[in-house]
Amino acid sequence: MYDDFANPWTIRLKWAYLLAVVFALLMPVFYTIGISFNLHGFGARIYEFTFEWYRVVLGDTLLVISLKWTLYLALATIAATIPMALLSAKFYKRTRRKVAFVALMLSPLFVPADIMGSSLLVFFKNLAKGFAWLGQTLGVGWFDGWFDLGFLTAVIGQIIYTHPYAFIVILITMSRYRVQQTEAARACGANAWQAFWDVEFPQIRVGVFSSCAFVTILSFNEAVRTALLKGGFDTFSNMLVAQMLNIGMSGESYAMAGIMSIVSMIVIGTVIVYTLVRAERLERRARAMAEPVMSD
Amino acid sequence: MTEPAAKAVEVVELGKNYGSVTALKSVSFSIESGMYYALLGPSGGGKTTLLRLIGGFLRPSAGRIFLHGHDVSLLPPNRRPTSMVFQNYALFPHMTVERNVAYGLKLLRVPAGDIRDRVDRMLAMVGLEGYNRRMPHELSGGQQQRVQLARSLVLERDILLLDEPLASLDARLRKDMCLELKRLQEKVGITFIHVTHNQEEALTVADRIAIIADGELVEEGSARDVYETPNKRFTAEFIGDNNVLEGTVSDLSANSATLDIGFAKIDVPAPGVTIRTGERAAFSIRSELLRIAGRNEDISDSWQVVPARYVEDVYLGLTVSHLVQLPDGTEVVARVMSDSGENGRFEPGDDVAVGWPANRARLHLA
Repeated sequence: MYDDFANPWTIRLKWAYLLAVVFALLMPVFYTIGISFNLHGFGARIYEFTFEWYRVVLGDTLLVISLKWTLYLALATIAATIPMALLSAKFYKRTRRKVAFVALMLSPLFVPADIMGSSLLVFFKNLAKGFAWLGQTLGVGWFDGWFDLGFLTAVIGQIIYTHPYAFIVILITMSRYRVQQTEAARACGANAWQAFWDVEFPQIRVGVFSSCAFVTILSFNEAVRTALLKGGFDTFSNMLVAQMLNIGMSGESYAMAGIMSIVSMIVIGTVIVYTLVRAERLERRARAMAEPVMSD
Repeated sequence: MTEPAAKAVEVVELGKNYGSVTALKSVSFSIESGMYYALLGPSGGGKTTLLRLIGGFLRPSAGRIFLHGHDVSLLPPNRRPTSMVFQNYALFPHMTVERNVAYGLKLLRVPAGDIRDRVDRMLAMVGLEGYNRRMPHELSGGQQQRVQLARSLVLERDILLLDEPLASLDARLRKDMCLELKRLQEKVGITFIHVTHNQEEALTVADRIAIIADGELVEEGSARDVYETPNKRFTAEFIGDNNVLEGTVSDLSANSATLDIGFAKIDVPAPGVTIRTGERAAFSIRSELLRIAGRNEDISDSWQVVPARYVEDVYLGLTVSHLVQLPDGTEVVARVMSDSGENGRFEPGDDVAVGWPANRARLHLA
């Protein structure tokens, strides 16, 4: 008798489709990385493996400075975004208007990057003017330079951009957490902070650290908002885009793109592998706990 | 002259609303120190809300809560003399049994040596000696609840709140744990407040029981009183296996009322009850007090007897329930021990008489 459940081709076809899609999506990235290791660059007939372009990038003072700025931007964004996302996720668990709350939290994702960037640019320009006027009116210099384009405005732009992602990642981890454990900690004498730090945080820290990784990657990858809001410094992405627009793709550009892609894939890959391993562990634990409870 | 000791718990006109939904309506009662007290009622009746209000996990919408005479209505859980055992999922899964039990003591900054001693002593008390290094997921449901108990009792608080602590256990283990809880309470001597929807559980452990339903305190009394002499019709219907019949008051005397139930007039004890002739009322009689006899057999003069038709018997293991139908179509149950052989001689459709001791019926006005 024909057994539909035993047909291996259904599964095989699904996997083939999935792999084909992933391959198609990632092909240009791997192609770019491949070129970045070719001494003769793009379009050459000969492929000669080299780290030369990477050596050039890391020896270029301007690029190293832009890498540093990107790192500072990522760290400042993490410092602000992660606690905000954590609070938002905790608030979400308590609120009864969950759909409205999620819609509100995710709304920045629905605004295109250039629109969000230019809106913030106009907003900060006017805000800076407002503060300058306030300073002049009061006859004090305290407000000079407030919200002039620079590191602070770039960080604010990044926070608006990365907050929804961090919120979602933390929320997913938090969904496994049982609020009874916080109540049990409170019943043991813990105050709200102790209950969070001792009991809840150890169980959601994977989500928090994943969010940190995610925010770092987004900070390295983001170009449009930063370009509009950064003022007098350049990030790595800005440098790459500027190079591409002004002098076209060089071996150096491929190496820059390669650095960003490789670092992103390593970070994301680590997070995914760790999450899968942890999910498996939690699943095993949940299965053990779900065993029928018998008299002992 | 010394002041009488303050009640362990005193709840005054306590209420809780969630928006337009009222979970608890102006409830007042008190609990003596050292008592095992059960909050019993159907699911969604408000008993867990009441317990959580006492524990400080909810903010009251109205009323006040006094613990040992101190108003704690607005204090957080960690500033109340209470600890709590939850239904499930409340052990900290990332900590060993030992760390779970020691958690509250660490917060109190008890020296490490003392913590170890107290944790070991408490684990021995709940029968988990040697389980210190186990993780919560390596324990059975009963063991997990015992760890929760140890974690709460080690703090030596005055009041222990138990929110359906046995609900997720199998029937056998639940029975064992009931007795264990009772013994523990007698040993430590503190006040236990135990929420359950299981009447057998409440009757096993509790000194006193409060029946909570529809956000109200329906009735409160000793376990025996609530079971044997329920005042409210709801209690009679909820606890035990009671037959409830309705009628109209046709006659009154000093200590009893006569109810006309259509096909018979029944005398029901009514000492001190204010009731008027013509008023609707009900009475209840526990199923184990009913006896079935042949239509022409003599039953004691002190019994109330009404005609009925035998319907069927239902074997329940320890007991057998015999179902009979009264002339108005109402079905009542007479329950006897399985091995007694009582009532077993009737066939479905037989004309019988069903009777009960007249002084054991309970009158219910509402």
